[in-house]
Amino acid sequence: MTSTAPRTGTAPRQSLRTEILEARPVNLDGFVEEWPEKGLVAMESAFDPAPSVRVEDGQIVELDGKTRDEFDFMDTFIANHAIDVASAERCTAMPSAEIARMLMDPRASRDEVLAVTRGLTPAKILDVVKLMNVVEIMQGMQKMRARRTPANQGHSTSARDNPVQVAADAAEGALRGFAELETTLGVLRYAPLVAIALQVGAQVGRGGVLTQCALEEATELELGMRGITAYAETISIYGTESVFIDGDDTPWSKAFLASAYASRGIKMRFTSGTGSEVQMGNAEGKSMLYLEIRCILMAKGAGVQGLQNGSISCIGVPGAVPGGLRAVAAENLVASMVDLECASGNDQSFSHSAMRRTARAMPQLLPGTDFVCSGYSSVPNADNMFAGSNFDTEDFDDWNTIQRDFQVDGGLRHVREDEILQARDKAARALQAVFAHLDLPPITDDEVAAATYANSSNDYPFRDVLSDLKGAQSVMDREITGLDLVKGLEAAGFHDVAENLLTVLRQRVSGDLLQTSAVLTADFTPLSAINDPNDYAGPGTGYRLEGERWEQLKKLRHVTSSTNPETEVG
Amino acid sequence: MGTSPTTELTRDDYPLSINRPELLHTPTGKPITALTMDAVVSGELSAEDLRITPETLQLQAQIADASGRPQLAGNFRRAAEMTAIPDAEVLAMYNALRPRASTGAALGELADRLENTYSAPVCAALVREAAEVYGRRDLLARPAADSDD
Repeated sequence: MTSTAPRTGTAPRQSLRTEILEARPVNLDGFVEEWPEKGLVAMESAFDPAPSVRVEDGQIVELDGKTRDEFDFMDTFIANHAIDVASAERCTAMPSAEIARMLMDPRASRDEVLAVTRGLTPAKILDVVKLMNVVEIMQGMQKMRARRTPANQGHSTSARDNPVQVAADAAEGALRGFAELETTLGVLRYAPLVAIALQVGAQVGRGGVLTQCALEEATELELGMRGITAYAETISIYGTESVFIDGDDTPWSKAFLASAYASRGIKMRFTSGTGSEVQMGNAEGKSMLYLEIRCILMAKGAGVQGLQNGSISCIGVPGAVPGGLRAVAAENLVASMVDLECASGNDQSFSHSAMRRTARAMPQLLPGTDFVCSGYSSVPNADNMFAGSNFDTEDFDDWNTIQRDFQVDGGLRHVREDEILQARDKAARALQAVFAHLDLPPITDDEVAAATYANSSNDYPFRDVLSDLKGAQSVMDREITGLDLVKGLEAAGFHDVAENLLTVLRQRVSGDLLQTSAVLTADFTPLSAINDPNDYAGPGTGYRLEGERWEQLKKLRHVTSSTNPETEVG
Repeated sequence: MGTSPTTELTRDDYPLSINRPELLHTPTGKPITALTMDAVVSGELSAEDLRITPETLQLQAQIADASGRPQLAGNFRRAAEMTAIPDAEVLAMYNALRPRASTGAALGELADRLENTYSAPVCAALVREAAEVYGRRDLLARPAADSDD
């Protein structure tokens, strides 16, 4: 006898229906069982600590079951900086169900909730949000989002790091409604040229759009200090001490960096997300959400105004475990409920299934967040140098239709083709002029024409990469600043674009964009949680998509006229 | 009405660029209203004019406090102190705070430099706190005497 049963020649017959299901895109996605001992669990783990807090002589001496001598550096930083000592014992002693109800109940104001959450420990916050299902989490988000008016952020990158493409796509993205635009590089040395292109293109599309270039911490800060970018976001933090150290930082180095940005008048937020610790191999046996809550409170303690979270580049990890996307929605809520700006993920691609991609965004799109995506790829995903986004340019019309279907504001709008072509052409010409002014490698008229009508980087003439890289280096060597871009634009007759950029630069003198959830409106009014606080208090209150904005969002590429069914409006 | 506030600012003063422009000036002493295109074209403005001042950061700290955000206000107060530190040195200080980048003595010297050279006591306190925690969590660099070179 053989030790294994002999196999028959053919596999068991599958039904025709199973064959169809096997071929569905969702079955290309990866799914795994939970493994709590290794932290491969979304938010329900027996290994997470029970909430506790004890204060002596104005200092937290016990936190979630550990005494101060047992604290790791996350515990220490959170105990010293994040939790309100005066209210910690009282708030943490409140029944979790009561706090969860406050988060949902429209009769409890946002400020009343904040008076409780500022005294909660990480394990207590986890205990509260564990009680909430995804609809309750969305209800909480609707009220706790810091800024009343939701917004969106786009990615503008190029697979060839082509600055002409980045400028044209930034202009189109700004015109479509992104309040912030972010770029990054394939070849890092291209950064100065691409960051300049992003800034110029954005100010062509819509004055006041804020731009950033995601790079290693020190270089990112340097471009910001030069006034070539307007804000920064990729300042990563982690929920365990060991992974934080692997990232070559500590809560204190990151807190110092946060102040460094503010000292140059530059808006900044940290980045964290569920799944990063288990992906980096040291979750210390804690659930993804518990570790993320530690990150959120660390950010709060550092005094940074906001956080990009929602798993971000680790979305495949929570996306693979049961309840994972509920945990992702919960981490966005926790950032908002401790009064941080929340740029809520929906960025890195994670699923082959169009249904899953859409469903993943609903807990942020329907209640609204400070930035629903962080960001949405405003280039084709093949050009997305952040490894692809959950949404890209092919999804623009679907996104606009979903906004119209549900009467929700996801920050974008349909824009007519002629306006888009005009903006793309102008952005490419403006960058052409700036490059000429700064004696950078020329942009030809053929490149401008290509940019106007292009979809992807494949539609542009090749650039001389070596010359571009020399030019990029010279931008740094010559210490080119944002002011030089203004001068170049003005000298070439792009007066409106020059004014837009100067106004953005002037904002750093006022510091208004440093306050929580700040963006610049089209008339250059800083709009933040201070002058646009979320005042949701139940049906009929808070942000409502109505008036002029709703009329904008009713427009789509094809809408049949009610008076003449043979024609389309728009 | 004067050009400097005698009372603490409140959230109604925000945004300062619109509601209280008279309080805002550049590090070279120009009012924010002087940051015009004409001034750019005539070469009157330098990059230095587009930086935030410690006074403005203190005003934003007052607004953050008045909005119930003490940690954000604390960040702005550290930032106000840092405006005096050159860009390259800010980056060097950040790098010195990375794990195992500095000895306890080096962090102590950094804190002293912040306090004495840059009148930055809030930043100095952050560095001293880091040094204490790093010592306890084995995150200090070994003293140079222990190394092979």
